Order: sequence, then structure tokens, then C-alpha cells
Amino acid sequence: MIIKSNIKEAFRSLYSSKQRTILALIGIIIGIGAVISMVSIGKIVQNESLKGFKALGTDILTIQNNYSPQKNPSSNKSDIRLKDILYIPSQCDAIEKVSPFIVSGDSVSFKGKKIESGSIIGVTESYFEISKVKISKGRAISDLDKYYNFCVLGNNIYEKVSKIQIDNIIGEKIKIGRNIFIIIGFAEKKPLGVFSFFDINESVFIEINRFMRMGNKGEISNITAKIKPGVDQITAKSQIIDYFKKLTKANNSVNILNPEEIIAQMEKQMQLYTLFLGAIGSISLLVGGVGVMNVMLVSVTERSKEIGLRRALGARRKDIRGQFLVEAITLSIIGGIFGIILGVGISFIIAYFVKWDFLISYNAIALGVIVSSAVGIFFGLYPAHQASKLDPIVTLRTG
Amino acid sequence: MLELKDIKKSYKIGPIELEVLKGISLFIDKGELLSIMGPSGCGKSTLMNIIGLLDKPTSGSYLISNNQISYTDDDKLSNIRNRKIGFVFQNYHLLPKLNALDNVSIPLIYRGDKKQERRRKSLDFLKKVDMHTRAYHRPSELSGGQQQRVAIARALVGNPSIILADEPTGALDTKIGDEIMNLFKKLNKDESITIIIITHDPNIAKECSRVVYMKDGLIHDHKI
Ligand SMILES: Nc1ncnc2c1ncn2[C@@H]1O[C@H](COP(=O)(O)OP(=O)(O)OP(=O)(O)O)[C@@H](O)[C@H]1O
Ligand SMILES: [Mg+2]
Repeated sequence: MIIKSNIKEAFRSLYSSKQRTILALIGIIIGIGAVISMVSIGKIVQNESLKGFKALGTDILTIQNNYSPQKNPSSNKSDIRLKDILYIPSQCDAIEKVSPFIVSGDSVSFKGKKIESGSIIGVTESYFEISKVKISKGRAISDLDKYYNFCVLGNNIYEKVSKIQIDNIIGEKIKIGRNIFIIIGFAEKKPLGVFSFFDINESVFIEINRFMRMGNKGEISNITAKIKPGVDQITAKSQIIDYFKKLTKANNSVNILNPEEIIAQMEKQMQLYTLFLGAIGSISLLVGGVGVMNVMLVSVTERSKEIGLRRALGARRKDIRGQFLVEAITLSIIGGIFGIILGVGISFIIAYFVKWDFLISYNAIALGVIVSSAVGIFFGLYPAHQASKLDPIVTLRTG
Repeated sequence: MLELKDIKKSYKIGPIELEVLKGISLFIDKGELLSIMGPSGCGKSTLMNIIGLLDKPTSGSYLISNNQISYTDDDKLSNIRNRKIGFVFQNYHLLPKLNALDNVSIPLIYRGDKKQERRRKSLDFLKKVDMHTRAYHRPSELSGGQQQRVAIARALVGNPSIILADEPTGALDTKIGDEIMNLFKKLNKDESITIIIITHDPNIAKECSRVVYMKDGLIHDHKI
């Protein structure tokens, strides 16, 4: 009951000194707002950067070829060969499909006009499925295209080409290096992938064997593998490592990135980052807290006569302390609620303009409520203690 | 019921020790209507504050209902003030932001009464001092006499056995002062509440069953 009448009393007192209350509220609102916006932006950024990984799918492994015979003189094998890679699904029962690919650069020109392009990529048929590259018109590269000069254009290349010739691009000739290729299809636009160090939209795809016969024999440095449904990543990973170990007689010929592990690792890092942002926000919260303390100290001085009277009428020291503490907490929580609204609003506006997915972090809201009450307690304790120490006789006499 | 033995009180102001009460011994029986008189500055309010447990003596002992008061337990002193003592001040000391009803119920908050209970009791006592029609008025909307009635209701609401009134009529005109005095007399007679009144007004003192005259920190004379 005493708590209830304390809360009522707190509202009455805060309301009766509106200006001071509003000033203190502004401090808390900005403080909590800063913490909440920092934390929710952290969360939004985290979500945004993990989105790429999650889009990859958890059934995909990326295998990076570290193997180079020069670094392993003990091995008499020259390199990891395409054939060995294509054997993986038959040797590792956890793997459904593999997609080795080679990336290199070469000049591209269409109807005599040079086209700015990123990369020429040698791929197998499985590439389009595993890397989730959709064909918007025509068809994809097939494993039967080994002996043909067929190519598929990335979306940006397609756009550049269609500026030169608007209609009927499929079937047209395009010059890659010294060779003439026939355009058989083009891909949909795709956001820049997470593991990829090249932009699919700026690429031209040709069949991998055909690619290797073009002279610039790049090594097969990238392989993505699709895991069979129901098999976990760890099993798949160890099977592939074993396979390559047998093949190359070297221990670390490949490096396997598995998205689940990376997501978990990144989430941990992001949390740290969010915590750091929250800590920065807390500095302004500190200022807000000092504002609360100031208002409460003034309030104690101003109401010393009331305190003396209440003591004379039977209030114990702890009743007085409780009254002022409740008032400080009430002030902070009101500020906290508006601060949460402000913080969420700010993160919404930022997400809106940067075109990130907005999401409300419920943890941040809980944090706001907890932190604002903690601020109220922490910065209210001293003034409340001062109030409880007032001598009733002195305060009544000065009245 | 109240027993003061050789109560001394001194204040230290800089290097000088000022003795305000120089050894007061006084016994006040249950149901007495006592007034304390004396020249300004003789220590009446100081004595009253000690009786009301708002202040502690420098030396001497004090018993309420044969219980020795210990000044080390502050919560206990608060509790005694809350349950046994009602204060009436010269300048009323009502909280300006609260209405009459809420002012009267303050002592009940600290004994943990529920809101309904507080309301009911406070209205009862406002009725007793004939102020129930002004229950929702704030102090600023009441006359001095009315404010003092509300303050008396507040002193009574906790059913105390002692009422301490420091110049309760000091700020009121004679007619209103007499009304307040009649209220005290009625409470004293009907409910045998012990009432101690500090006053400068001989007419008020005349109405009391006993008058204690103080001078320069000592009891100088008694009149029954
Ligand atoms: N806190 C204090 N510090 C120092 N001296 C004090 C203090 N309180 C009271 N005194 C002194 O004690 C003396 C008695 O004061 P007290 O208020 O008891 O007088 P009083 O008899 O009630 O006078 P009045 O009739 O004017 O109210 C005064 O001389 C006053 O200056
Ligand atoms: Mg006095």
C-alpha cells in the first residue's frame, strides 16, 4: 500500500514541478534513446550481414583449394584436377553435388564494341543450382557444352549488351579474348554474395572444360558442394577433408567454410559489437542520470518541510527514502519509455533510408526498461538517502 | 503516563554551549489538559519537541507509559509518534498539494492502512471537527481556523493518547481560537486524551486543568 501511495505521490510531485521534470526527462529520453537506437541498429546490421550467409543455405559448403604442388614438394601430384573434384559425390556419401569453378578475367566485346566486364567464369551445370543463379532468358550452361563456344551473361553484362542491340540477344555472337562465343542465356540480377570475391552480375559464364582449353589455365580454386538432405555439415566437412587428404597426401590442402559455423561466429562478434555500441550510448545515459539526481536533490531541498512533517507524523527513515526513490524511478521509467520510442524510431528511420530490413529488438526494449529503472535507483539513492537523513525538528522549525 | 526526569537540552553554537533546558522534571497523568506558558525563548517548544520525540534531550530520562525511551532506535520513535502522539502546530503544517482528506490520512499511510480504510477513518475525523464538507478542498481554499481543524483531525486520526499543540491558536482570532479550545476540551473530556498546549494566552490557560509556567529553561511555577 505504501508503494502504491508512493507512486501516486511521485506522479503528483513530478507533475507539480513540470519544468524541472521535463528537463530531467529530456536527459533520460536522450540517454535511453541513444542506448536503444545503438543496440537496435547493431541488431539490424547483424541481421543484414547474416542475411547473405543465410541465403547461401545451410546445406552448402565452400571448399577453398590451398593446394599447390610448389608448397608441397613431397607430393608428386601436380594439382587437384577437375576429374578428382567431380568424383567427390561418388566418394563422399554426404555430398549430393559439387560445383567447381574457375574465375579469370579477359576482354569481352560485342559487335566490335568493348564491354567492361568483371570476370570470365568457367562452370559446370551444377553451378547455377548450387549458387542459386537463376536464368531469366535462354538456358544455363550444360555439361554437354564442353565442346561448344556457348556462354551465359550476368545481368549487368546483359544490360550493357542490350544497349548495343536491343532485341534478340540470344544467339548473337560475343567475343571473349580471341574466341567467338554464342550467347545462350542471361542470368537474373543477384546481390553480391558473401563468399564471392567477384560479382556474378558482372560475369560471363562458360563451360569449365571449354574454359580450360582457352589457354589461361587457372587453377580450380573454388568448389561449392551441396550436402545431401538430412546430413549434417560436420560429417560432410570431414568426409571432404579425408577425401582430399588421401588425394594429395597433404594435411591442409583444402579449407572448408561452413556457413553454420561462420554464422555462429559472426553472431558472437556482432553481439560484442552491439554491446560496444550500447556502451557508447550509455555515456549519454550517464548524463541523463545525473540530471535525475539533480532534480531529486532540488526536490529534497524544496520539500524539506514536507519531509519533516511526514517524519513527525510517523514516517520512518526508510519510508522517506522509499518515497524519493520511487519518485526517481518513476521519473526514469517515464523517460525510459519515451526513450525506447525515440530509439526504435531512430533505428527505423536509419534502416528506412539505408534500405535495411527494420526489426524491433525486444532485447533492446527490455534493456531500456531495466536500464532506466537501474538509473533511477542508482541516481535516486543518494538524494533519497539525503532526504531520509533530514532532521524533522530542523525542517519543521524552518517552516 | 508521561514522565520527564531532569531533562536537559543544550545547543552548541561555535565554542559556546547554550543550555536551553536546564533540568526539567515533570509528570503528566493520563487525561490531563495541561498548558505550558512562559516568555518567548524560555524553551517551551524545545520541551514540547522532546515530549513529542522529535528531538532528543542532552541528558535526563523520559518515560511514556512507564517505558523508558531509547533514542537509538529511530524506527521505534517514528512508530510511537505515529501511534501515540498527535501534533498540532501554530502554522498548521498542512501539505499544500493535498486536499483535506489526503492531509488527514497521512499518518495512516505509515501504519500500513489500506486506501479504503484510510478514507473512511479520515472522513470520520473530518466529521468530528466539522470539516467533512470541505474534504476535497486544498489548504489554500480554507480559512486559518478551518485549516487548524483539518490539522486537528490529522492529529486525531491515528487515535493517539497524547496531543501536543504548540500555540495552536496563535495565528487565529479570539473567537476561532475559543472554538479550537472548545474542541480540545471536548476531546479531553469525551475521549480522555491527554492534551498539552503551549500558549501565550491566559484565557486559554485558564481553561486547562493545570498550567506549567516556564522561565529560562526551568519550571518556575505550577497552577492547578
Ligand atoms: N537548533 C537550535 N540551535 C540553537 N539554539 C536553539 C535551537 N533551537 C532553539 N534554540 C534556542 O533555544 C531557546 C528556546 O527556544 P524555544 O523555541 O524552545 O522557545 P519558546 O519558548 O518556544 O519561544 P516562543 O514562545 O517564542 O515560541 C531559544 O533561545 C532559541 O534560540
Ligand atoms: Mg515556541
